[in-house]
Amino acid sequence: MNADWTGGPDHQLEADEQRRAVARRFHQGAVPLVKLWTYYFGLGGDADEMSLDAYLNEALHLPAAQVGLISTAMTELTTDEDE
Amino acid sequence: MTGNEGSPREPDGPAPTTTDPSLQELVLESRDVQAFLAELAILAASRLSVPGNTIHSGVTALRHRKPEAVAASDAAAKALDELQNGFGQGPCLTALCRKTTLLVPDLAAETRWRPYVRTAMEHGVSSILAVPLDLAGHAEAVLNLYSGCSNGFSSEDIAAAELFAGQAASSLRLILRISQLSDARNDLSAAMQSRTVIDMAIGAIMAQNRCDRDTAFNILTRTSSARNVKLREVAATVIRSIPGEAGSTTRFKE
Repeated sequence: MNADWTGGPDHQLEADEQRRAVARRFHQGAVPLVKLWTYYFGLGGDADEMSLDAYLNEALHLPAAQVGLISTAMTELTTDEDE
Repeated sequence: MTGNEGSPREPDGPAPTTTDPSLQELVLESRDVQAFLAELAILAASRLSVPGNTIHSGVTALRHRKPEAVAASDAAAKALDELQNGFGQGPCLTALCRKTTLLVPDLAAETRWRPYVRTAMEHGVSSILAVPLDLAGHAEAVLNLYSGCSNGFSSEDIAAAELFAGQAASSLRLILRISQLSDARNDLSAAMQSRTVIDMAIGAIMAQNRCDRDTAFNILTRTSSARNVKLREVAATVIRSIPGEAGSTTRFKE
């Protein structure tokens, strides 16, 4: 599941940008890593907590499907807080 | 005012480097913690009160970096705490920030926090003692003591209040740790349930659309964001639409 990003250079740039955006949202927010991981796992996420940590610290790429779930998890968790 | 720089810090366990926001939440949302703090306020007030010098006591904790009055021995103390938080400045908030005990022996002679001090005097307060609770970075809270007499706190009273706050803080650290674990357990159990529902829905979509897992996930995610409905609620709707599954709830046993 890790680092199996096989797209061309354009895809790579796009993925980097997306990851930066997700990482920024994570570091700004008040959601602890373990809470985010648990929620993401609940959505069907497959990456382990350490991979998620590495991804958010821009040390690892994850497949697009996982990235989508991380982003969804973050959105749903922050909407919960606003309520 | 008294400075207590060398507040006793227990050497046990590594102190977390950052304040965990979920623990700050716990201080305010857990009923156990609230009941504990109310008990603490009442005990502190009755321990320090003597005939002719009634002490009112309250606890203020930080929530989202804003102070909130969370527990009090009586309505008067609660009102005083809220008043101070309303002004956004006062001896208890300063003690909370500096993490040191702060004594205002006579409000009439006090030149700091003027707007609050004036209002507090109108409420009959003459001296204030604020003792922060050392929660090892888990959260921040302060025990506030109000007296109607000037010089209402002797040095023995201050020592007693600090001892009291120190003991309460170590109990509170344990409560916070336990609450944190039970919180994590509840999150995990909710995640297992949600994952079961979503996995079933993914399977249903894969069978219906003859597509792979990623495509099924995509369909689910797109529906969720287009309708602004949570992913697991969309998944539950998908499962309900399967003939024979209507009305049955997803079973997940721990």
